[in-house]
Amino acid sequence: MLPLYLLTSAKNQPILVELKNGETLNGELVNCDSWMNLTLNNVVQVSENGTNFLKLPECYVRGNHIKYMRLPEELMDYAKEQTLLNLEQRNRNQKRRTGGNFNNNRRNYNNQGNRNGGHNYRRNNNNNNK
Amino acid sequence: MDHNSNGGGSHQSGHTNNQRRRHNQSQKPDGPKREAILDLNKYTEKKIRVKFIGGRQIIGELKGFDQLMNLVLKNVEETLRDPEDDHVLTKEKRNYDLVVVRGPSLLTISPLDGSGEIENPFAQSTE
Repeated sequence: MLPLYLLTSAKNQPILVELKNGETLNGELVNCDSWMNLTLNNVVQVSENGTNFLKLPECYVRGNHIKYMRLPEELMDYAKEQTLLNLEQRNRNQKRRTGGNFNNNRRNYNNQGNRNGGHNYRRNNNNNNK
Repeated sequence: MDHNSNGGGSHQSGHTNNQRRRHNQSQKPDGPKREAILDLNKYTEKKIRVKFIGGRQIIGELKGFDQLMNLVLKNVEETLRDPEDDHVLTKEKRNYDLVVVRGPSLLTISPLDGSGEIENPFAQSTE
């Protein structure tokens, strides 16, 4: 389970983000990118000393400056489920694709050229999956 | 003939590759994004609050921005901090006309519209 994958599966869920300056942001995760920059909705921003509470409809946060995040506990199971579903989906797509016209042509062409089609075919498919 | 079909084939495969890449990006529900996650267009001509790494805080009208999130702000008002304690904001303000904000030193961006100070919403939960 990669941290950023776990985080992406927390979309639309309430999370708590603490920044390096001690401020905390409570809000619903809208989006995140590979730098851990976040966009949050319905945020309550708590100042570093915990006395001031600011309501923000939206907020963008630099991933660079995040100390830690707290995610819902059930998220781990949900994320695992999602990755499984995703794998399945990808396999299904791949099957559909290899049944399609383009790849059929290609496969035949390769088989003719190389005569040990089996190996080559598999390698080709792997490349496709990347 | 053979040569011709070969050329066509490789072209086609390149095309499908491109398609697949585009397809993946839109379809992949997991995995972090590589493109921008905040559309600053919706904030143009609106007042936004920008916090900087280091603790400065400004409010200004967004006039422009780029890929690196450098911003152009107009009618900017900086909320000054207590000279003794950097974390405490004072009522003091300082005004600028036109400001270019460097993207890398940004910490948070939020629209001013609909934001405001509230009572502790976690009061009951901490009891």
